[in-house]
Amino acid sequence: MITTLDQMVEQVKGLNKKFKVAVAYAQDANTIEAIAQAINEGFIEAIMIGDADKITAVAQEAKINPNIFQIIDVKDEVAAIQKAVEMVRNGEADILMKGLCGTDKFLRGVIDKEKGLLPPKATMTYVCALEIPKYHKLLFVTDTAVLPFPDLKQKTAMLNYSVAMARRFGIETPKVALISAAEKVSPHFESHSDYAQLCMMAKRGQIKNCIVDGPLDIFLACDKESVAIKGVPTPIDGDADVLLFPSLEACNSFYKGQMLWAGAELAGLIQGTIKPVVVMSRSESHKSKYYCIALSCLMV
Amino acid sequence: MSITKLDQMFDILRTKKKKRLVGAYTVDGHSLGAISKAIDLGIVDATLIGNIDLIKATCEEEKIDINKFEIIDEKVVTVAAQKACLYIREGKGDLIMKGLLGTDIYMHALLNKESGLVPQGAMLSHVTVMEIPNFDKLLVVSDVAIIPLPDLKQKIEITNNVIKTCKALNIELPKIAILASSESATDKIPANADAAIITKMAERGQIKGALVDGPLSLDLSIDKEAVAIKNFKSPVAGDADGIVFPNIESGNVFYKTVTKLVKGELAANVCGASCPAILSSRSDSEQTKLYSIALAALLAK
Repeated sequence: MITTLDQMVEQVKGLNKKFKVAVAYAQDANTIEAIAQAINEGFIEAIMIGDADKITAVAQEAKINPNIFQIIDVKDEVAAIQKAVEMVRNGEADILMKGLCGTDKFLRGVIDKEKGLLPPKATMTYVCALEIPKYHKLLFVTDTAVLPFPDLKQKTAMLNYSVAMARRFGIETPKVALISAAEKVSPHFESHSDYAQLCMMAKRGQIKNCIVDGPLDIFLACDKESVAIKGVPTPIDGDADVLLFPSLEACNSFYKGQMLWAGAELAGLIQGTIKPVVVMSRSESHKSKYYCIALSCLMV
Repeated sequence: MSITKLDQMFDILRTKKKKRLVGAYTVDGHSLGAISKAIDLGIVDATLIGNIDLIKATCEEEKIDINKFEIIDEKVVTVAAQKACLYIREGKGDLIMKGLLGTDIYMHALLNKESGLVPQGAMLSHVTVMEIPNFDKLLVVSDVAIIPLPDLKQKIEITNNVIKTCKALNIELPKIAILASSESATDKIPANADAAIITKMAERGQIKGALVDGPLSLDLSIDKEAVAIKNFKSPVAGDADGIVFPNIESGNVFYKTVTKLVKGELAANVCGASCPAILSSRSDSEQTKLYSIALAALLAK
């Protein structure tokens, strides 16, 4: 079982494979640095698609030899995205990664019905593996970035993706906590109705390979002492692997709080696509970006 | 020991303090016959509020000793119903029974803000206890008669009343099935969605004193064989003591199928008033009325 992000990187290195990453509109210093590190550590090859002159210049400025990349010169932003998506779709690359292009344009390329990477009717969402110094293992949280107010179908997809990811980390039966402000079921919270359905789905075998409970607050989900004090019997028992949040705002604030004050690091990935898609926020640390690339390799 | 036959209610009642029944215009043969038998069995005393001439005539016709009743003469039906409620309010009776008057008049009297028996904000629901020939125990079902399409809040109340009724039948930890057409969790069918919420609430201790599971189909609720074939895991399935129906149609069809086609017997009661209220139909048999009296007496404080 992988309990830290560094262990995750070791696991990826241990696969002894070089995953091909296609970077869309690659002339971005942050991205180039993270990619270069992963190349140097031997677990990826990169195809940089964008303005070739700029890519070379940015790399040199960061003291990175541009010859470690394969560079494809496509100067137009949207065309560069399309080219990168196409290469992943065709199997010429294993992983798609966003460079300097706008997130909106990038995702439009990903979800394109004819040429994109999202199967019809699939739910696209985002799952993060968080390493929080005070927690005894990795915590998978969803959705930090894509779905503002997930409905039951979307929550079901979020849950299944998180479980699949946690299982890649060697957690055979992940414990999924459905997060709210308290554990009592209240019809005043729309999310509670969905949570009850998810619990029942797990009970009835409609959701597999995991233990699900909610509503639970963060304490009952992640702190054994709180469970003992409150005396709420829950199979999660303060030992959650996955936290599913009722809204993007709640989840986003949670993970950013952990980054800002608790020294957390993360690896996150778009879910629902046929191949891993890496989208990183510019404000993420260099280390987190590198972890995101490693995670995408683990999920190929 | 939980009881498995309606007759056994009498045995429990004989070990308890005798309750007083107040009859709201109980002047007909079926009502008086049932009350008379209940008195003979030693399970209640009775005060009848209604037209004394009619009561006398019926007693003569049915060969019932009129002296076993306390009788308050009231010839106006609506007033009789109201007086019966007041009698309970004054603490002179423990349970109320509908006689030869329309359901609307009876319910109107129960629900009257000044003189009725329903506390503000309380909700009335109907609970039926069924004895079914080829089923090995009693089955408590609701709501087959009052609430057409209960919402979540009403279903929770119904569930609580079913549990309460099970407990009165000495079923220590009743198993309650929240019924739907299938056991699948889905938000596409309201019955299934509500059932999952109620089950979760029971898990959190917001509904107490019972094992609750739903959505469950009828076969998975009461048929151990179906449960075995499907290899279905549930603390309730195959052995339900209580069934909460998603709507009045499903509940009503169930109880009428059981009584008409399988010759099941039943006792029924209205829960939610300050005392148990018997709302048997005028066409109910004397036996059904007697059982309903016994059930009400069991539920009375």
